[in-house]
Amino acid sequence: MKKILFYALILAATVLSTILLIAFLMPKKIIPNYSDEKLRELALSKGLKPVPSSYEELLKLVDDVKNPMTPEKIALGSELFFDTNLSKNRKTSCATCHSFDKDIQNRGVLLSTLMAKNPEITNCAACHLRDQSGVDRFTFSEGDSGTQHPNMLNTQTILNTSFAKYFTWSGEVQSIQEQSANSFQAHYKMNLTPKEVEERIKENPKYAAHFDEVFKDGISFENTTKAIETYVKTLTTRSAYDRYLEGDNSAISHEAKRGLANFIGFGCKGCHNDISLGGQSIQRFPLREFAQVYDLKLNFEIFPELKRLDSEFPFENNGGYLGKKNEHLFRVPILRNVTKTSPYFHNGAVPKIREAVDVMARHQLGRHLTLSQIDEIVAFLQTLEGDLVDYGIKGEK
Amino acid sequence: MKAIYIKIAVFVMFFTGILQMKLFGIAWENFRIIQALHIAVSIIVMLLLITPFIYGHIYKYSFVKKVKSPEGWVLLGSFLLLLCSGIYLFFIGNRGGDLFGTISFNTHLYGSFLLVLFFIYHTMKQQKPNLGFAMLLVLIVSLNPSSVYADTTKLSQMKVESKNGSFHSEDWTNSAKCKSCHSDIFAQWSDSNHKHIAGSNPYYMAMETLAGEAEGEEFRKWCMGCHNPSAITMGFGKTTHAMDGNFLSNDIFEKNAKALTDDFKTHGNFRLEEGVSCITCHQITKAEGSGNASYTISLDRKKYAFEDSTSKAGHYLSEKLINSNPQVHKESYSNPLYKESRYCASCHDEFHPKTDVKIVSTFKEWEKSPYNNPNDKSKHKTCIDCHMTNLENDKFAPLSGVSTDGGVVKKDVKVHYFAGSNHFLSGLKNKVHEEQTIQLLKTSAKLDVDIKDSKLVVGVTNVGAGHHLPTGVADFRELWLDVTITDKSGKVILSSGKLKSDGNIQDGSRFFQKVFGDENGKPVGLLFWKYKILLSDTRIASKERRVESYEIDKNVIYPLSVNVKLNFRIYPQWATDAVKTIYPNLPNPPVLELIKVTKEFQ
Repeated sequence: MKKILFYALILAATVLSTILLIAFLMPKKIIPNYSDEKLRELALSKGLKPVPSSYEELLKLVDDVKNPMTPEKIALGSELFFDTNLSKNRKTSCATCHSFDKDIQNRGVLLSTLMAKNPEITNCAACHLRDQSGVDRFTFSEGDSGTQHPNMLNTQTILNTSFAKYFTWSGEVQSIQEQSANSFQAHYKMNLTPKEVEERIKENPKYAAHFDEVFKDGISFENTTKAIETYVKTLTTRSAYDRYLEGDNSAISHEAKRGLANFIGFGCKGCHNDISLGGQSIQRFPLREFAQVYDLKLNFEIFPELKRLDSEFPFENNGGYLGKKNEHLFRVPILRNVTKTSPYFHNGAVPKIREAVDVMARHQLGRHLTLSQIDEIVAFLQTLEGDLVDYGIKGEK
Repeated sequence: MKAIYIKIAVFVMFFTGILQMKLFGIAWENFRIIQALHIAVSIIVMLLLITPFIYGHIYKYSFVKKVKSPEGWVLLGSFLLLLCSGIYLFFIGNRGGDLFGTISFNTHLYGSFLLVLFFIYHTMKQQKPNLGFAMLLVLIVSLNPSSVYADTTKLSQMKVESKNGSFHSEDWTNSAKCKSCHSDIFAQWSDSNHKHIAGSNPYYMAMETLAGEAEGEEFRKWCMGCHNPSAITMGFGKTTHAMDGNFLSNDIFEKNAKALTDDFKTHGNFRLEEGVSCITCHQITKAEGSGNASYTISLDRKKYAFEDSTSKAGHYLSEKLINSNPQVHKESYSNPLYKESRYCASCHDEFHPKTDVKIVSTFKEWEKSPYNNPNDKSKHKTCIDCHMTNLENDKFAPLSGVSTDGGVVKKDVKVHYFAGSNHFLSGLKNKVHEEQTIQLLKTSAKLDVDIKDSKLVVGVTNVGAGHHLPTGVADFRELWLDVTITDKSGKVILSSGKLKSDGNIQDGSRFFQKVFGDENGKPVGLLFWKYKILLSDTRIASKERRVESYEIDKNVIYPLSVNVKLNFRIYPQWATDAVKTIYPNLPNPPVLELIKVTKEFQ
């Protein structure tokens, strides 16, 4: 009896010490302290690029021969983007969910709204319109007549999508034009058939001349989505991060630079890459299998914390969405302006940015980041918060 | 079991015990480890080593060998005494409320000397002194120089002290954590205006956003220095509000800080608590008293072992460790400074960060008032004497009770309702708060009414407030006279200070307030920071009387019935209307009748 007990103890001790040994022997990822120049060089070499500040530069990157961008077409797209008549109840426009003010220089609607007798804007928009986030700030999107998304999906930002290769949460959409056609027709969005869209456009005499000027074949559903695409492609934001990449060392704080180093070093940039820091590929989430059953947090407490996660995601999966082909495949979201677009993940289940960073590190990288690392990364993400670029495109008559 | 192990065990226990004495003053970093070690070892050693040994030892010598050893029995007695007092200290603690805690603490401390003395005598008697065991304790006293670094911009005067130069949301310990031992104080604070000063305050959220819009996003920091210090230190540029699905969460009506306690259960300290939390006030180390968040907050404090633990076991243990010897905990969360008015002045004075124009001067008003009388202690009254003292039947009635569950019963527990003038927002959550504030408001003024030479003369005296009436952002606070005079036939011959149909007060009413004008002399409206020129100031200074007179037509038929009310409303209707554009669920603040005088004149 004593012998069995003895061997059992020895065995337990061996197992425990092996586990601990592995944990200790795992090489710690040390992110070096880069100099400002070195870090910039590293970021650029990894494919991170600033958003162009001139229209000509932008055209080089995003213009498409199939739907060339012209100032007139962009102006038409802008009119259509903000036209609430292009939805069944005539209350919803593209800008209802992808919110920002049409006049991008106008950042002062709150005071006029608060002082107006019968304000046009109410609730969230009064404060958030000026954020220029390109989202509705809702947990899940609501379309025409408040119809909620069947999968309770959160609205993604439309800003900087010109640099993306894939669109929507599943990434199954290949172009902005395609997605704008989808949005018009979806019953939980604008809820109109292509024919109805054409009819609505014809109601407004202003449009006929504008369409004729831009397109050979005048008003059509396809031309509508084409015009919208060219306008959306001009919706880019520039921020302190861009200024840093272009050589201004004082543009971002020391903490943010550490965050950028972490972002590159830990491998976040593997998926959140290119100009838009995302939208370039479709990836599995959560990546780590273990995350599906147990979230084992190794700590030196009296008892290690064991948390069982019942859902497929490290958060409650309201709406039951499982990504492309129900295989947990998602388009990598664009990180530009991420601090303006809470809540996070496909159903908006995670309200705070620090928690989102923690979830991503754990389940995509298999890392428990330290608090400092998380704070640094958040400081970096804050530098991605930018204002819409005014390219000075004059297409209106 | 060899006696040598017992000797080592006893001395380890003894030394780890006495090292915790104040006399040694060892560095906190070492203290907290030794304290935890002392308890952990005691469980292992006592249960597994000493108890079987004692049993065997007594059996062998007393019953088998029949050795008579009185000091052996004394040793057993003192051992049992230490054991019992130790168990009491661990499970119940020395919280100050019961005598047993104090007795246990002293028994445990001095009993250990007794035990060791008898123990040495007991062992030496049997054999030649064998000092083969020597205890070597290396104490590493590391004194890290404390560096103060401040992310002060001119917008916020706030300074943060930190030893290692960094801090995290964890250092802003969630107030819900304090609840487990300070439940009464937590309950008071949780519905107070201090708790609901940031994300859950609709007026504040509208104003902060407006300030950001009008003056640039950076300007929000001016507001956040006092309203949301935790977010500022963590580098967040704006205050956030909670959401409930696609709707604004209904936290204007939420009781007992439910969202906060729920957050704490699921996210622990990882999720930052915004607003004025326990830590915000109780970690302030210095206060300049010059307004605009002119305080220094230290996030380095002495934490007991496991205090930051996220596991339930760790949380449980840390509470036990604090309770067993709470001195350090007490000292690190309180400060004599907290009783002084200049501490409150850190935030209750307000000036424009660029133009230095004084916007709120509550503290300066108090400084000039008769209540600031440090030479005569009986007349000297600081902020907390009125705003943190319990009220009952419209009078100050210091609350006798505890601030820690099971702690010392205090004659005057400083209540954390923070009653001021905003009965409305706290009243939406809790009627007790509303009553406390209304009672306080009613102690502030007196009304006298007379008719002389066809003139109605109404005097309002500030009898209770140690600052102007009203104070705060005084052009938002509405204090005015509602006057009705009827003649013999019951016909109204004079009416003033009534509400219009849109909820605003009639023009020409007699207000006690200051009116801010911008640089062009126009009223500033919501943008109070635009204040440059004082358009009018009819506030009543402390202990002063202000007279308003109304002309009465000479031909009226006496007797006249005069009805005068001193009314108060926390926000003007036009301000509430503006905020309601964003927060449609917000009710209208009621008009409060502070004093009413009805008089007949022949």
